[in-house]
Amino acid sequence: MFRKSAGLGVGLVLVFALAALIPGPVLGAGNGASADTGRIAVSAWQAALIALGYYLANSPWLFGLAFFTLYRPLVAGFFVGLILGDPAQGTLIGAAINVPYLGFISAGGTLPADASFAGWVGTTVALAGHLDPTKAIPIAFGLGLLGTIIFYARMSLDSIFAHWADARAEKADIGGVALMNWLPGQAFLFAASVVPVFLFALNGPSYVQDALDRLPLWTVNGLIIAGGILPALGIALNMRFIFRGSAIPYFFIGFIVWTATRGSLSLVVIAALGLALAYLHLTFVRPVVTATSEPDRELQPASAATSGAGSAAGSTAAGSTVGSAAGSGVRVTRGDLLRSWALWTFFAHANYNYERLQGTGFAHAMTPIIKRLYTTPDEIRAALKRHLVFFNTEPNFGNIVHGTVIAMEEQRANGAPIDDDAINSVKSGLMGPLAGIGDTLSQSTITPILLALGIGIAGGTAGGSAVPTLAGATGNPLGAIIYMVLVSVVIVAIGYTAWMQGYARGRTFVTDILRSGTIDRVLVGAGVLGNMVLGALAAKFVVVNLAPTITISGAQLNIQAAVLDPLFPGALALGLVVLTWWLLRRVNPLVLLAIFLVGSILAAYPFFGPGQSNAGDYSYQACTSSLLHPYAPCGAPPAPSAKP
Amino acid sequence: MSLRLVRIDDRLIHGQVVAGWLRALGAQRIVIVDDAAARDEFLREVLTLAAPSGVPVEVLDLVGGAARCIDLAASREPVIVLARSPRTVLALRQAGVPIEVVDLGGLGAGPGRRRLHRTISVSADELAELRELEQLGTRVEIRIVADDRPIALRSLDPAR
Repeated sequence: MFRKSAGLGVGLVLVFALAALIPGPVLGAGNGASADTGRIAVSAWQAALIALGYYLANSPWLFGLAFFTLYRPLVAGFFVGLILGDPAQGTLIGAAINVPYLGFISAGGTLPADASFAGWVGTTVALAGHLDPTKAIPIAFGLGLLGTIIFYARMSLDSIFAHWADARAEKADIGGVALMNWLPGQAFLFAASVVPVFLFALNGPSYVQDALDRLPLWTVNGLIIAGGILPALGIALNMRFIFRGSAIPYFFIGFIVWTATRGSLSLVVIAALGLALAYLHLTFVRPVVTATSEPDRELQPASAATSGAGSAAGSTAAGSTVGSAAGSGVRVTRGDLLRSWALWTFFAHANYNYERLQGTGFAHAMTPIIKRLYTTPDEIRAALKRHLVFFNTEPNFGNIVHGTVIAMEEQRANGAPIDDDAINSVKSGLMGPLAGIGDTLSQSTITPILLALGIGIAGGTAGGSAVPTLAGATGNPLGAIIYMVLVSVVIVAIGYTAWMQGYARGRTFVTDILRSGTIDRVLVGAGVLGNMVLGALAAKFVVVNLAPTITISGAQLNIQAAVLDPLFPGALALGLVVLTWWLLRRVNPLVLLAIFLVGSILAAYPFFGPGQSNAGDYSYQACTSSLLHPYAPCGAPPAPSAKP
Repeated sequence: MSLRLVRIDDRLIHGQVVAGWLRALGAQRIVIVDDAAARDEFLREVLTLAAPSGVPVEVLDLVGGAARCIDLAASREPVIVLARSPRTVLALRQAGVPIEVVDLGGLGAGPGRRRLHRTISVSADELAELRELEQLGTRVEIRIVADDRPIALRSLDPAR
């Protein structure tokens, strides 16, 4: 069965690779640059660097931070820009491509779309083809769906390598288990990533450009309209997590601040305002009730200490180990603890697979501990097998599990009556709940808020029109850099603290941190800040331009420009975002995506009246008789990009 | 009326449930039916505290859980019921809990377990229990996250 699905995966990747290879030559589109169009020819070495970047984005080699940095289109766009010689425009395109993925999370081996494929390949296609960022959004989103093939092939195939690790464990071969966690899985991932992305990067731009040249121009307009509408989907997907309760008004505040200032305030200013409001909100509107302040829980810190030290075998282990029992037996050194943490942080997902998820990663992380604590082959074999089983948690906050388990292993090696069941029950009991909290913290709160901030900065200054368009904007690479630094610091700090405190205090730490209300406070505060930033981002990226006009006493007036915008600028965009959020409770996101794409393109069709001619620069031609307009409602074309 | 979502997941509460299903269903309550968790004071507390604030978690044993589920099914309140194994859900069904759909959300692999789909593996006993649930008129589906398209167990059942 594994072989069957693995074979299928490999086959799919090959087909996928060939698909990228063939169109360029067949359609006769050259790679040559032409100065007048601003297109860039992607050379073989540039394509190779982009392919390597995509592999790194999915690899363990960046201290586990690739998923939070290179994987995100904002960051990918910056690096593709560097490789192709225009980091500012690359960052702007990456930022635009990233917006539909703001609500992106991957939990427990599921992946809605490959945001990294959209980022690396999408930016390459758009930057090399001199597409404006709005047009790049729907194209990149399609690429992202294609990219999931690589993920699913890898998740299937890597199950086999878990069995190879089992065989090494049977021989008490610690190094062999560690090797099986990364070598075969990464060798496959490298091949499966580099080949298709290289071919796409090399041939994709001319292929996409050629396809766009052949499409009727109104459909290209439809793509631009879709580029204004798809961001609503990403923003609404993220709103599912934070747009609720007393935090809801802040979304509207963020939106209105942005439209009222016509995008002239930096998103950093709006975020600072959001932080101040979050403080006020936590102080006056929704003070977090800590568990201990409730009367019936008055005595719980004391009982936590008892349960931490007394109840089951597992809890004695983790209660208060550090410093005690000095003198006799083997101890885990601080170096072992750090090595183990580093191995986990690097390699937790190196062999991520359907059968065990992070199981081999857990065993790999335990290798320094097993080396320290156990000497006989029997003990080593048993310990390796104990930790090769199914395991899945959030790899940062969830590190409390690892710390706790290390403390238990240490006690066990020193003769405490802790059996496999006690260790397994701590792992399987804690991994789920901690993943629930950890995913909420890292994937659905911290990452999207920092990303929204980075995207806002990267989007740079708008073209100065009432409804700012991306076509006239200049990107700011600082957005990608600030995001990378902030997210890395926060994620590593959470992971390190969880690991060390889990070891030192075990179960007591779990109950203490959960009871203290700290996490709740962070989530509520982040909800306020997140809504502000997301509201501003919605105002910046969601664009709806209604085309129909009405005739009032002889004068033809555009409904949006003459009636709606003076009353409430951006009301339609705001309405679309809230509607999307509401629809997402009832409709599958992929169905909604399809509706938006088809709807955008149909709405661009020139149904009646003049303006149907395909002649001239139609895509910038104002006032064609469709339902929606690209760029602006029946207005002037955007200022041409400042690019040479 | 019957229960909104009865999910079999050996991890009980975790990211897919908290970040995905809870929001997708608009559920305001989680009921966990698990004898071992109900007995373990520490685990009970962790599970209770792991849910987002404002979402109460009840950790009950099989007897208490069946009674509670019957009440909740009648009340129309959107609720997620979590259990670790098909055996628990079959016992709930046999105790008279109206369950329209059972969702297989996470059943890890291991020796003697057959993989049905991605992260879903079952033992021979579990498969028999799931078939029995189907015979009792409950639909059994694999749907790991709310955004997935449900896959009917019948379409994957190796015996068919």
